[in-house]
Amino acid sequence: MAIKVQIPTPMRDQSDGQAEVVVTGTTVQAALDDLVRQYPGLGTKLFDKGKIRPFVNVFVNEEDIRYLDEMDTKLDDGVTVALIPAVAGG
Amino acid sequence: MNDTFERYSRQMRVPGIGKAGQERILNSRVTLCGVGALGTVLANALVRAGVGFIRVIDRDFVEPSNLQRQVLFDESDVTNNLPKSEAAVAKMRQINSSVKLEAVVADINRTNIEDLCRDADLILDGTDNFEVRYTINDVAVKLNKPWIYGGAVGTEGMTMTIIPGQTPCLRCVFEASPGPGEVGTCETAGVLGPAVGVIANLQAAEALKILAGKTEAINRELFMLNLWENTSKRVKIAPLAGRKGKCPCCALKQFDWLEGEQGTQTTSLCGRNAVQVTQRAGTKLDFAQLASQLKASGPVTANKFLLKFTITDAGEGYEFTVFPDGRAIIKGTDDCDRAKTLYAKYIGY
Repeated sequence: MAIKVQIPTPMRDQSDGQAEVVVTGTTVQAALDDLVRQYPGLGTKLFDKGKIRPFVNVFVNEEDIRYLDEMDTKLDDGVTVALIPAVAGG
Repeated sequence: MNDTFERYSRQMRVPGIGKAGQERILNSRVTLCGVGALGTVLANALVRAGVGFIRVIDRDFVEPSNLQRQVLFDESDVTNNLPKSEAAVAKMRQINSSVKLEAVVADINRTNIEDLCRDADLILDGTDNFEVRYTINDVAVKLNKPWIYGGAVGTEGMTMTIIPGQTPCLRCVFEASPGPGEVGTCETAGVLGPAVGVIANLQAAEALKILAGKTEAINRELFMLNLWENTSKRVKIAPLAGRKGKCPCCALKQFDWLEGEQGTQTTSLCGRNAVQVTQRAGTKLDFAQLASQLKASGPVTANKFLLKFTITDAGEGYEFTVFPDGRAIIKGTDDCDRAKTLYAKYIGY
């Protein structure tokens, strides 16, 4: 179960600068848990008391998990999970 | 009138605009919130396209570090210490004298945003922070007006188009914005001029579709680009509309940003080591009196738009830029409480 997770630019100081990390997991929760196992510094960036922080939007391919099964959304082999915070500047 | 249509002939040849679309554009009214990097590109595009009326609002003044990307400004605007909205409108007049323009030097907040947007057909986001964007979202939903979000930092940006009742609103998609220090700012991450330019031009194209009456052509996804990494991404947000009847803004009509408490507000400014302090609506400062009050504390200069002074307080240097409505930008700190203290100490409220 290879899943690609896209890391937003402001969090890449915690992923050795990598834009994409390969993880395993059959749900979004499991995939992000594996991501945090590989890069513990992402833990507090992504989660607060075990819950995904409200400014981090999670997409599986092009779909927002909020209209799928949230963190329990099932992942097929090869899908991309994108973590997308709002961009504020301008 | 024939000359008018000759001027816009290339635009009218675009399928989807035509003469009817151009007439609608010529008769339309836009409120542009913020005229910095995104805003100058938007202003340039819209004034050239022949939008009938454009209100340009910005709280800031032109600085040397703006010139790298804020396309309507030049060195003389910096030398003359011009407010951004005034400098932008002066350039826009030279580009297209037939467009009615209004420059507003003000902080956009809950006390004034309804008045600034009520007569507009479309609200455009040229701002650099989420406090204003959520306020725009509230007013757009409340007044049932379309608006177009754009944001850019570093080499990337994103945009989405909001038509209340038809698309998700900003709060449907972004329940919360990153807090201070959570993500990069223009100072820490820098900003690539073309990245902001591309995002703003995407917003401008959306604006023309809406103003020409072609809402069926709008972008209904969240669109992201990174110019340095050569990546783009679109994600589907349409199913988030109203978030199953629970979006506080567009479903429950709770306008939290509009209905918040009035009064002195502080905002830490994106990447500038500065804090803005604003006063309640209707405040009017007497510059002459303020200048005489301050001259013992440090050097003071003023024109009719703003008053500047520098002070040393507790061993730290600060630069104040004060506007007639009582608003001040205090450089030298990003601590809101410290800024309030300094404001109270040197200006008083």
